[in-house]
Amino acid sequence: MKEYFAGVDIGSTMTKVVIINETILASVVGPTGPEHRKLANRVMEEALNKLSLPFSDITYIVATGYGRVNVPFADKQITEISCHARGVANLIPTARTVIDIGGQDCKGIKLSNGKAVDFAMNDKCAAGTGRFLEVIAEALGVELEEMAELSLKAKKAAEISNTCTVFAELEVVSKLAEGVPLEELVAGLHEAIATRIYGMVSRLKIEKDVVVTGGGAKNIGLVKAMEAKIGYPVLKPEDPLLTGALGAALLGKDMVKQAIEKGVPVARSERQLREATFFS
Amino acid sequence: MVYAVGVDIGSAFAKAAIISSQLVAYHIIPSGGNYKLTADEAIKEALKKASLSLKDIAYVAATGYGASNVSFANEIIIEISCQARGVSYFFPSVRTAIDIGGQFTRVFKLDDRGKATAFMLSEKCAAGSGRFLQVIARVLQIDFAEIGPLSLKSRERVDFSTGCAVFAESEAISRIAEGASKEDILAGIHRAMAAKTLNLIERVGMEPDCALIGGGARDIGLVKSIEEILKLNLLVPEEPQIVAALGAALIAREKTYSTD
Repeated sequence: MKEYFAGVDIGSTMTKVVIINETILASVVGPTGPEHRKLANRVMEEALNKLSLPFSDITYIVATGYGRVNVPFADKQITEISCHARGVANLIPTARTVIDIGGQDCKGIKLSNGKAVDFAMNDKCAAGTGRFLEVIAEALGVELEEMAELSLKAKKAAEISNTCTVFAELEVVSKLAEGVPLEELVAGLHEAIATRIYGMVSRLKIEKDVVVTGGGAKNIGLVKAMEAKIGYPVLKPEDPLLTGALGAALLGKDMVKQAIEKGVPVARSERQLREATFFS
Repeated sequence: MVYAVGVDIGSAFAKAAIISSQLVAYHIIPSGGNYKLTADEAIKEALKKASLSLKDIAYVAATGYGASNVSFANEIIIEISCQARGVSYFFPSVRTAIDIGGQFTRVFKLDDRGKATAFMLSEKCAAGSGRFLQVIARVLQIDFAEIGPLSLKSRERVDFSTGCAVFAESEAISRIAEGASKEDILAGIHRAMAAKTLNLIERVGMEPDCALIGGGARDIGLVKSIEEILKLNLLVPEEPQIVAALGAALIAREKTYSTD
């Protein structure tokens, strides 16, 4: 019988589910939801439907991400640092440094032999996270998806002197009124985020290969700004949102394999799709 | 009578104070986008209140974020000196002062002559400044002036898991959706600000008496919250926003002695 393993990564903005056996069989990315964040079960259900798989066929489920504690159907919770490390190492074995740019946090992870050996993280301040771009895109009346392309059109990057998102928003609006071209401002914002992230990650010694993951990796303007700071090209997985969920599924698989080798039973949760509750 | 003027152009508000042997008049207006015009306006209005004209003024000292825009200033004096001097005028017993302004929180120690001896400035972070209150007031659709009195009615403070104004804004929206009251949210914001302030105070060292100045001191809820976390009573000037302008005016007036 084929064995299936699932990883559920509940980020602040997006929930991702990956189902694997030997390879990735199905993956689904859905919004975490602005208020109640109860969508983990729906994303899971969708992934199962893709494979026409009953939920009971999943051997082991690992939850990760900031909402991991509240996934009622997960067999185990593992930190996103370990999961990202495992997922990235699986996809890009030469990776030594991972920079994960999420919706509300940002982290740098050092890898050695496919495992996280050190990390730095900012989840305290919106600067240097996806939230920074989101807030400012709204203030500028630009779609978040347009920001990357706009920044690439700029001849130069406007200087943004504020780190704090709230003050940067005011600065950008007043610079726009002064006549600074929109694309130069947007390029300046990408530069500002890259500076912030680079400052945090360089506390770890950045080593080649550098892999960028998370929603930020999908923004080509930001990736280019990061490359300019680091001094050489970075790599990114085909789907940079999935590395955490993939790593979670892989770690689950590793654990079951080890348990079987040791002859110990694997504790599992009830296979029932219930709503995840966050504020209970 | 010898008159001196102090002008403090802050990021959020511009203040002008006129003194002779004591405070004669003052005026506060939003800083707006053109500091030069704002500085002119603040002084003009303060002079009007005192029934004086600019030629009656012996010396003008400017201070604050936009001090260089005060075209008729005789001198620019750094903020911390003006604030220490101003605090000492209101409360000679104060040895530690907290200033919560539009962009920063500053904590400083001062001696019995109104000289600053040590100080610490927050990062330029909205959550460590009066800007945080403006952000939350906008979310709750209330006026800045309503924040303090409303927050005092809080029965079950909403604690925020973040020290970032942007994250707290989203958190506040989620909590409102879950039914939290404005009062309880405001109390939580005050608590978060008080915690940040405490952090800064601990780095400078606390010596009583302690004063709270700047626009943040106009929010009675914030004052109470900081008192609670510091476990002491704060001295708050009747007009906490004009402390630096007044201090600048006091220093300016001294300059007129030396030219007498």
